[in-house]
Amino acid sequence: MKPLVQIAGILVLLVASSACSRRTAEAHVAAPAGQPANVPASPEVAAAEAPLSYELRLGKETFQHYCKICHGETGAGDGFNAFNLDPHPRDLSDPAFQKTKTDGDLKDAIQRGGSGVGLSPLMPPWGKTLSTAQVDEVILYIRTFKKTES
Amino acid sequence: MALRRVFAITSILFLLVLAISPLKNALRPYRRFQGEYAKLGASRAKSMQAAKAYLQKPVAIHQIWLPEFENRVDRCTTCHLGIQDASMAGAQEPFRLHPGSYHTPKDFNRFGCTACHGGQGLATLEKDAHGLVPDAEAPLMPLKYIESGCGRCHDSEGVSGAATLSLGREIMEQKGCYACHTVKGHEQFRSEAPPIETMALKTGGEALRRWLTNPKTVDPNASMPKFQLSEKEIEELSNYIFSLSPSRQMADRIRAASSEPAGDVAKGKALFAVARCISCHTVEGKGNGTAPELSTVASRATPGWLIAFIRDPHAFNPRTRMPQFNFSEADVRNVVAYMESEFKDFEAPKEILDPIRVNQTLAEKGKTLFRQKGCFACHAPGAEVDRLGPVLDGIGDKRPASLEFGKRTDLPHTLPDWLEAKVQKPGSFQDGLRMPTFALSPKETQAVVTALLSLGAKPVPHAYRSVPSTRPSLIPGGTVGALMDKYRCLSCHQIGDRGGDISTAPLTAEGSKVKQDWLVDYLTLSFTIRPILTDRMPVFQITKEQASQIALAFETFYLDPSIPEDPFLGQNPASNDPAEGKRLYDTLGCRACHILGAGGGYYGPPLSEAGSRLKPGWVFKWLKGPQKWRTDVRCPNYGLTDTDALRLTSYIGTLVKSPKTSKTARGGAR
Repeated sequence: MKPLVQIAGILVLLVASSACSRRTAEAHVAAPAGQPANVPASPEVAAAEAPLSYELRLGKETFQHYCKICHGETGAGDGFNAFNLDPHPRDLSDPAFQKTKTDGDLKDAIQRGGSGVGLSPLMPPWGKTLSTAQVDEVILYIRTFKKTES
Repeated sequence: MALRRVFAITSILFLLVLAISPLKNALRPYRRFQGEYAKLGASRAKSMQAAKAYLQKPVAIHQIWLPEFENRVDRCTTCHLGIQDASMAGAQEPFRLHPGSYHTPKDFNRFGCTACHGGQGLATLEKDAHGLVPDAEAPLMPLKYIESGCGRCHDSEGVSGAATLSLGREIMEQKGCYACHTVKGHEQFRSEAPPIETMALKTGGEALRRWLTNPKTVDPNASMPKFQLSEKEIEELSNYIFSLSPSRQMADRIRAASSEPAGDVAKGKALFAVARCISCHTVEGKGNGTAPELSTVASRATPGWLIAFIRDPHAFNPRTRMPQFNFSEADVRNVVAYMESEFKDFEAPKEILDPIRVNQTLAEKGKTLFRQKGCFACHAPGAEVDRLGPVLDGIGDKRPASLEFGKRTDLPHTLPDWLEAKVQKPGSFQDGLRMPTFALSPKETQAVVTALLSLGAKPVPHAYRSVPSTRPSLIPGGTVGALMDKYRCLSCHQIGDRGGDISTAPLTAEGSKVKQDWLVDYLTLSFTIRPILTDRMPVFQITKEQASQIALAFETFYLDPSIPEDPFLGQNPASNDPAEGKRLYDTLGCRACHILGAGGGYYGPPLSEAGSRLKPGWVFKWLKGPQKWRTDVRCPNYGLTDTDALRLTSYIGTLVKSPKTSKTARGGAR
């Protein structure tokens, strides 16, 4: 019975070694982030988002902090600060407006302000105050106004 | 023959055993994820080359190794492949681009993942990495408490991006958690709760009973929590409080005040409005709400006490935030007469303010209770403050196994769940627990739990600790220091790293910001700078002499070295051009928020007299980047050149008040 014991011994050793080699895969240290982070989400992605994704919540927060005072809670242009302004802020929930303006147009207007895109200077440029990502999030949030309206 | 058979069987067994390991490896879920990621990446790629790059990536375990940061090894990126990949914005999990933007994606290789998210970084299986692992060292942090991670490194400062954490820390300070619990950095905390020696002359037996039963039903703004007290215990505590007598001098003051003739209600009402009491107090919910609700105050305090207190609040409670106003003797009588006429609880029994006839045995028992229940921690903090609650340092790293769940068998055995229940209903764990109930809203609970979870067992490595950027506050001594204490500037204004947040104007750089003459005028008669604010500077009736002293000290102490006194010095002389500045003012659309002359928005401060108020150096620096001075300010950064900013500065310098506008006219328009 001696050979059997030997074989059993070798078997045990093999099992043990195979257990040790469980993590044979090479470990790669993550490559440093080289790419720019801020590429606008494509529209179909935005549409597929749940109503309050993280990005939308960030956008809502930014909108409510910076934009609401003129554009109003629902984007209708009825913020308290706008009472005395001429021209009045744009109604962002207007379906026609939502349709004609691309995300690029909105981004341009937010970053360069009214005077940057040939409109009233009362809309200030936010490109130096908000990051590109914040602007993208706000646009994402502005796009939800259409839904509440229709 | 038999041996050969055995040999054959064992050979096959060997082969099978040898196959187990590669098979297991080949079937690990991350391989499937990496395959899916490559396909998704290729389909989203903008060029053929980029698509190819996705498909050619070798399948492997990825890890972020941080030897300097507690030797963390985070293999989360083995499955969460798109966290740094901009084209993965909004993709399905686990491939989505990291949605939060603080420290990410640029600092992933400095912080890793588990520093904020918790979880077992080494694991490469979902259930091992962030499933429910019993007694894990750092289980996955629920997203609603994620800001606790910020607090581990930013342990001694406000974090502007972490609103929940900051709120939690604020609540802990305001509710007086540190009075009973030791937390590093808060050893000096002293509650604002009043000393109890003058209570017997302030209130009545019934009023005190109601207060001790539940302070919030008496005053919704009360910072005192609800203690688990039986009726008998309340009786004993009341007897103890009424057995105490204030110093002779205080008693005489209150008695003398109570025998003064009644004041004029109408005059008192006017003064109550002019002095802006509701910048801190509320009346039927209207007002700031950091100080007591006043609509029933006359049913809680005797008129004599009210008069004596308003005249000199600091003699009653040296730690109170209430400033001392320069009211005349008659002024205070009038205000109290107004309070007596309107601020009463008309449903309360007449005898609500009648004193208790002290029973000495009950009072003795009450004295013991006062210590046992921990009342002294807030009401009589001594030099040797013995914090009676458990130390909270390290509570964010407690293992669930070491937590006492008591009667709460309904709770999942996790630290966040335990903390949530504990801060909301401490009494539900055990009868007779000393910890009181604070009546926190769900949002406040989330904030406090976030702040608690940020208290780690050991400090993060030195290189990771954030050094506060705010300057330590500088409070002058001498006469001006005494005046600033009298008017309690710090109750509302920030100075450096200290102070309240009722005012939107920190005083840290006030000397570089406003003109001295304007400040003297403002202190003697505080008028409205921003009409949309309801919490305005109280009218203290500061004398011209005191105002000049304070203004001079501000001019000396509260300077910012980065703000030039004369911004035009050494600049292009053409930049001092008010006409061009006016043109800029119109084309930039400043009037969207600022009133100047007839039109304009309401949000920003009106600029009609800004030239009399603001120093040009401040205006210039503000225009160059408003967010540097207040991170959340709505005034956008226009990215102005020095020349343009100076032109605007020179225009704003011309906006001085016309000599015709008298001080009284302005005061009247308030």
